[in-house]
Amino acid sequence: MNRLANRRRPFFLDLRAIRLPIGGVVSIMHRASGAALSLAVPCLLYTLMLSLRSEEDFAGVVAYFSSGLGWFIGLGLMWALLHHLLAGLRHLGFDFGYGEEKGQARRSAWITLVLAGGLVALIALAGLLGGGA
Amino acid sequence: MRQVAGARRGLDMWLVQRASAVYMAVFLIVFLALALTAGPLDYAAWRGLFAPLAMKVAGLIFVAALLAHAWIGLREIFIDYVHFLVARLALYLAFAALYLGCLIWAVDILWSVQ
Repeated sequence: MNRLANRRRPFFLDLRAIRLPIGGVVSIMHRASGAALSLAVPCLLYTLMLSLRSEEDFAGVVAYFSSGLGWFIGLGLMWALLHHLLAGLRHLGFDFGYGEEKGQARRSAWITLVLAGGLVALIALAGLLGGGA
Repeated sequence: MRQVAGARRGLDMWLVQRASAVYMAVFLIVFLALALTAGPLDYAAWRGLFAPLAMKVAGLIFVAALLAHAWIGLREIFIDYVHFLVARLALYLAFAALYLGCLIWAVDILWSVQ
């Protein structure tokens, strides 16, 4: 490809003027959740190491994720994982030719968004009722 | 980037991304099922989950799949937003080194459980 032609491509990124379709919203959240999870990997390994190392450290990890900032971080990670997983399954469907029609794709985008949020809300609620937080 | 990476690499990564995703999804479901049926999840039960050799091997494959998946995903992001080639390659290398360290660390963590 000609480099000059490449440079002249129109560029528009006025975030106040752009109205993303629902598929675009789910897509950018797929990317954002993936980036967050990628950066969290060393922290998650550290958490796994602590949880297996000793009884005291295990209790410390449980306590950390049971209240305050740790509770929100845990729910945030859970949301990132669920949204990324569901959006990924949606893409695997596309790869095999399922749900590519516009109406179906919009519906599966909404389902991804609502299901990930709903499941995290349920987990949070279960935690609250079970004596967490 | 075609000169640096080769045109076919994109297809290989596309496949690795999907294969690793499927493995991780299946592992997470099986692991969750095992954890939920293990009874009250105290320290002993938690360690017990990681005791069998099969879990260590399956877990290590999960970590390897996760790291490959994360690196390829980050590569996509860097290609979109980091246009200065040297900076992009430096980021590839930095995360490759970080994730290689993570893989070795995961072996240590998993095999520390007897």
